[in-house]
Amino acid sequence: MPDDSQEWRKARRFLKERLQRDYTTLRGYQEERSNVRQLLQRTAEMGESNSLLLIGPRGAGKTTLINAVLTDLLVNKSFVDNTLIVHLDGNLHTDDRIALKSITVQMRLENAADGKVFGSFAENLAFLLQCLKAGDKKSKSVVFVLEEFDLFCTHHNQTLLYNLFDVSQSAQAPICVLGVTCRLDVIELLEKRVKSRFSHRQVFLFPSADHFEEYTKLCQELLSIPSNRELKASADRIDSLELLTSDSLNFHRNHFDGVEYEFDSKFVESWNKHHAKMLTSSQAQKSLQMLYDFDISEAFLKNFLFRLVAQLKPDVPHITVDQLTALAAQYEGDDKIDLLCGLSVLELCLIIAIKHHSEIYDRDPFNFEIVFARFSKFAKVSTTMQSVERSIVLKAFEHLRIGELIMPLTNSGTGKVQKEFEMHKMALTYGQIQQAVQRYQALPTEVAQWAQSSLI
Amino acid sequence: SRLAEGTPRRSIQLSNIVEQRVFKDDEIISTPKRGNKKKSTEDADADYSPRKSVQKTPTRPRRISASTKSTATPTHGTVAAAAAASAAPMTPSQKLKKIRSGELSPSMQQRSGKPVDDLLKSKLQLAREQLHVSVVPKSLPCREKEFENIYSFLEGKIQDQCGGCMYVSGVPGTGKTATVTGVIRTLQRLVAQDKLPGFDFLEINGMRLTEPRQAYVQIYKQLTGKTVSWEHAHTLLEKRFTTPAHRRVTTVLLVDELDILCNRRQDVVYNLLDWPTKSAARLVVVTIANTMDLPERLLMGKVTSRLGLTRLTFQPYTHKQLQEIVTARLGGSEAFKGEAVQLVARKVAAVSGDARRALDICRRATEIADTALDKCVTMLHVQQALGEMIASAKVQAIKNCSRLEQIFLQAVAAEVTRTGVEESTFMGVYTQVETIAAFMGVSLPPPGRALRLCAKLGAERLIISEHSRNDLFQKILLNVSTDDIHYALRVGEVGSVN
Repeated sequence: MPDDSQEWRKARRFLKERLQRDYTTLRGYQEERSNVRQLLQRTAEMGESNSLLLIGPRGAGKTTLINAVLTDLLVNKSFVDNTLIVHLDGNLHTDDRIALKSITVQMRLENAADGKVFGSFAENLAFLLQCLKAGDKKSKSVVFVLEEFDLFCTHHNQTLLYNLFDVSQSAQAPICVLGVTCRLDVIELLEKRVKSRFSHRQVFLFPSADHFEEYTKLCQELLSIPSNRELKASADRIDSLELLTSDSLNFHRNHFDGVEYEFDSKFVESWNKHHAKMLTSSQAQKSLQMLYDFDISEAFLKNFLFRLVAQLKPDVPHITVDQLTALAAQYEGDDKIDLLCGLSVLELCLIIAIKHHSEIYDRDPFNFEIVFARFSKFAKVSTTMQSVERSIVLKAFEHLRIGELIMPLTNSGTGKVQKEFEMHKMALTYGQIQQAVQRYQALPTEVAQWAQSSLI
Repeated sequence: SRLAEGTPRRSIQLSNIVEQRVFKDDEIISTPKRGNKKKSTEDADADYSPRKSVQKTPTRPRRISASTKSTATPTHGTVAAAAAASAAPMTPSQKLKKIRSGELSPSMQQRSGKPVDDLLKSKLQLAREQLHVSVVPKSLPCREKEFENIYSFLEGKIQDQCGGCMYVSGVPGTGKTATVTGVIRTLQRLVAQDKLPGFDFLEINGMRLTEPRQAYVQIYKQLTGKTVSWEHAHTLLEKRFTTPAHRRVTTVLLVDELDILCNRRQDVVYNLLDWPTKSAARLVVVTIANTMDLPERLLMGKVTSRLGLTRLTFQPYTHKQLQEIVTARLGGSEAFKGEAVQLVARKVAAVSGDARRALDICRRATEIADTALDKCVTMLHVQQALGEMIASAKVQAIKNCSRLEQIFLQAVAAEVTRTGVEESTFMGVYTQVETIAAFMGVSLPPPGRALRLCAKLGAERLIISEHSRNDLFQKILLNVSTDDIHYALRVGEVGSVN
């Protein structure tokens, strides 16, 4: 059986890499994709200037769409020779100064030498604008991809956005400004003059897997192993891209490459058959439905599947229904209850005292003295808690506080009040405490009874 | 405190010792200083070599020779430097010096192939190119009166050889800058025909400057081509405009986006508007901004007084004017149906009266017609383009939320109705989620996961929420209207039943 173990090991690596590093395969979004593609193509070939905003929730495949479109287009020689691609990210380029330096480097302008830009911010802006102004239909098109577009809107005066949009609306070098953001109301962030210069093309990317059957199909597709012919086709696509050796795309160096894998056709058949059957079972469907109810994005499903694939072991060379349901159940769990179950009995008693206080006084804030008084009343009549000192209870209280199970009323100005008297609020619901008390291992009966009612 | 004082002094002494050692046994120990020097020269070498081999593209030498030809270098700089520049690749600092002195003209990389010939383009493509906002027509339709107004002002000032100011305002996209530059172009044509005394034209834009004082740099640069610091540029401009000189020609300065040039001190705006009052300057300043009452609202009294009362307001385009603009752009082409243009004009005029918006929508309509393989843009195409570009995708977004997210949104709406206040806390919303989930028979997410839902909706801006650090006490605001939620979810449910 050594051969078979080789196969499943390969399959695990294949699936993991495909889940993590396949940056260019886009599923669905036919219309949006062709829209963006045509726009970029017209910019490159006809020298048109355009601007576009790509909007969609997080995890909807916005970046993948751009990567896919660029991968398609970069195979054309006419596109590669006639365009420069400038990538900017709002998280990295936190102000116009940094963004401008990056643009200068990526466009390889005269005042940049080996990635170092000379001159001040004002000079760089003036030089960039002069360069773009000097260009016309005969000069190369520049495609600006601005990821996290909403963060660019927070820059001072929105100078960079104004200038980019202004160039796209005047007879200068042909540029295309692609903004990518997850905020639906991003246009409201633009200043009036910037908004007027923006062409108001918006492409919305909402995950199309809004029917559960499609979600199951996607799940099946992500778990299945393609035949060797399909593998070769996808490998060719990537290979042609790597031949270009352009630095405009920085993901192709570490891209998922199907060419390294070759599977035995019998193995592929049995693998796919098994998983198709597994996914159609009612138990698996129920778990998937649970995930689907929570989050329909592909990123969430991929995260789930990665954890599932990582569980493949030599003794279980297939993903079983039990594994899937167990993992899905983990997603349903509450971390705070786990945290509560890890507390000592003393700390749990304090939590119960806080709960009683909150119930009686309708979520009024509390401090250590209040809680301690309530706890002492219980400790006096209990048989196990009589010898606990005040300082130890205070330590337990502080422990709760740094675990953020209780939170101070104000975040600042804590210096004035002594720590025994500082007011706090409880960051738990009653239901969570109830469940924690039920689930706690080896809880003394006295405490469990006290948790039921505040009367002692 | 003594300790704190002690440390820096000691370090100073230490550094002295090191320097002494450097000076004393220069040859014996490889001192850090020397090592550094060596390294830096090596770095410079490393910088050099790839540029020699890789970056020396065929374009560069040609460009340099062209620029030296055009600016006639012998006047500034030695002959040797010029020869060196054309022979060997320049170091970055040499290049920067050239850029600052204006000897190296900025350029873009050229395409490898030729642009597509006009004859090969279809009717729709030609129409689309004509409709691009960047194609400014020779004479702007529907702005004849404003043109007349600015023309007579500028012509009078140039003829009289005195200075003056004008303030032009209007909402974006109403043809302000296009009209002013159109007037200037007409005047320049007259100068070429010797019907008018000559004048210089300078142009700055507040939004193209990183700070207001850079205006001096840009003005000076347009006068001489050199880039200097703003202090220096300011003194030079001051000298130029305040001292009388023989044969000084009139200068027309166009200042776009005036409101950006206003800082707290307003020294830049003051200077720009004060120079025209000097008799030596012969400066005519035309300022453009959006708000009509900018001088009264933002500027200081003395600046407002200098700005004067010669003002002009550009009204937003009406639907008839927008229609005329679009049909003028289209020329005699039959790519558009008449009523299609009318629909665009009416829809845009009702919102903003922005010509850019109308042209962009028309362009999008041609694209839609193109993909539909139609030869003519009809009402349906325009309707689709309008739907895309005056988009409100909130309902769509709510429909495409996951089930629990939809429940969460409903819960926020329910909490708002319950309390009557717009702002609700997470705890109240979670109670509502519990209720709705129990009612609908869905398994309830624990609060930690519900916080994740909340953060996701907050990232999309369907709700506005605080940082999740505040846990149960974070405040949640609904960013869509409750009607939108009901509409999206109710209509959706009906759809799923069918």
